Amino acid sequence: MSDSTNEIIPGLGQKKVFKIIVLGDSGVGKTCLTYRFCEGQFLDKSEATIGVDFRERTIRIRNEDIKLQLWDTAGQERFRKSMVQHYYRNVHAVVIVYDVTKPETFHSITSWMSEVESHGLTKAPRVLVGNKCDCGSPSDRLATVYAQRLADRYGMPLFETSALLDSECDNVESIFITLAHKLYSHQPFRVVSVEGELGPRLVTLNRHKRNTSNDNCLCS
Amino acid sequence: MESINTDSESSDKCNINGDCSPITDNESKNFNHAKNIDDISTPSELKFDEEFEFESFEIIEKRKDIEKCLANPDLVNLEQWQNFAKSKGGLICDKYRRKIWPLLVGVTQEEMTDPPSLDELSTHPEYNQVVLDVNRSLKRFPPGIPYEQRVALQDQLTVLILRVIIKYPHLKYYQGYHDVAITLLLVCGDRASFPLLCRLSYGPGAPLAPFMQTTMQPTQHLLNYMLPILRRADHGLADCLDKAGVGTMFALPWYLTWFGHSLNRYSDVVRLYDYFLCAPPLFPVYVTASIVLQRAADVYQCDCDMAMMHCLLSRSLLTSLFQQLPDDLPFEDILVTAKKIYDENDPTDLEAEVAALEKREEEQRKLDEERMRRRQEERRRGAAGRGAGRGWWVLRRPAHRRAALALTAALLAIYVYYRPELFR
Repeated sequence: MSDSTNEIIPGLGQKKVFKIIVLGDSGVGKTCLTYRFCEGQFLDKSEATIGVDFRERTIRIRNEDIKLQLWDTAGQERFRKSMVQHYYRNVHAVVIVYDVTKPETFHSITSWMSEVESHGLTKAPRVLVGNKCDCGSPSDRLATVYAQRLADRYGMPLFETSALLDSECDNVESIFITLAHKLYSHQPFRVVSVEGELGPRLVTLNRHKRNTSNDNCLCS
Repeated sequence: MESINTDSESSDKCNINGDCSPITDNESKNFNHAKNIDDISTPSELKFDEEFEFESFEIIEKRKDIEKCLANPDLVNLEQWQNFAKSKGGLICDKYRRKIWPLLVGVTQEEMTDPPSLDELSTHPEYNQVVLDVNRSLKRFPPGIPYEQRVALQDQLTVLILRVIIKYPHLKYYQGYHDVAITLLLVCGDRASFPLLCRLSYGPGAPLAPFMQTTMQPTQHLLNYMLPILRRADHGLADCLDKAGVGTMFALPWYLTWFGHSLNRYSDVVRLYDYFLCAPPLFPVYVTASIVLQRAADVYQCDCDMAMMHCLLSRSLLTSLFQQLPDDLPFEDILVTAKKIYDENDPTDLEAEVAALEKREEEQRKLDEERMRRRQEERRRGAAGRGAGRGWWVLRRPAHRRAALALTAALLAIYVYYRPELFR
């Protein structure tokens, strides 16, 4: 248990938390990708995500436990208009996924980007992910050069991967780890404060620009 | 209540993968947990109603009553069917459901027509989205179903959905509609499920109609009843949810699919459908509140954090990876509780509270927008400032500007004084 030394104050998260929202058209593999990262295996029978689903995993950066919260969203447009909006609040990073075998999912990236920007996330680290690179023949897949051009335009790194292939596991890993490192070096970010905690684990609420009011109450 | 007590002391523990659900102290439960995850790849986790369950004397008697009524259906009024559907055990088995569900929503034999072929419908703009969702609905099919049969059923499902949205073009398909459609299809077959689904989707008081509007706003509005309903039953619990800011998203798949998307056990799903088919349209939201009540102990133990609370409420303690509820929720009790709360707190009694809640959310949204606008402006100004050179920011303020002007004038005067030849 990565967390077992902290049980002194039950009910309080003490790790740094990075919230990452995963966006993209329906069926591009958002759920499989987050599942692969959080559970280390391919999700065989994935269902449509309705609304928003949530997964998380703790990683270590420079000997510090970091909790990555992944918000896996529904791809259908009707969900993002009024409902997913709420989840953009307090997001630290964005992953946009497309399906390399379906050009239309790639073309939607522009609208996803403008959505991200409309939520004031222009400064947040972003990553573009072309998923399902195990599918089809190379000629069926969108050429990397196009994707790279678009990624460059938005100034974000591009990853091409497959949530299905075990051999691509490291690549999936590196998507989120890259983001985590970027966020880690990008301080300040949200920290869950624990009053009265002593020693080197003492953390303070730093001057964070984003609203943290929802995340720090100590209700019992 | 069984599901509630298992993890009372472990709310802060996370497993290695960072799975945020409270894990149980019980090793054997953990073992089951792992086993459940592995089993997900096989459809055998779906427990259809062929599974033998011990039937109580009550249910055996009820069977006799239902069979008696089905022998002479013309002599039975709607109220009697509704009583069967709502009372303990519901309609018991699919053999009865197949006949009684159409009666509950008033579908007649004449309406049960043969479906068109899939090819005729494939030009519909929603075709791709529907097929995408139907292809991913493998978990909803009977265990061990032969491949060909499953594919045939999936085609029937696609046809069923498209038929409805072609008949009522203003109704929009939503992800989750396929979960309702497949439940009807598996119970009633492709001929009867079409008029049944039509009844649920279109017309005054049609329970699925609000979900099928252009936006999700009407759905959001109805889900907003959940917190006030909960508050009437347990004030502290409602406060807990409210403080965590968990919203209603955790219950969205429940409501949109009448729990079809979120329950592992087929028998639980159809039992709930028995009830919902003859309950008021908002009743599933009361059931939602009732489930939260059922899990009150967990909720009180949970971190007051949006993510944690969302995670706890939206899924099972045992198979905590998907949008799925615990297998052992006592639905008969939950339905009784929901009914009791409904009788005591009609939706019209709650309207004022819902309006207040929505007003508060609107204000919060405006605040957020304002904050975002300001932040963007600051950033823009920051960028502009950097572009124009850092030194000039001093001149922005009038006092600084005046001082700078005076200083320039003085320096000029001194210069002119010492270099008078320039002005001769």
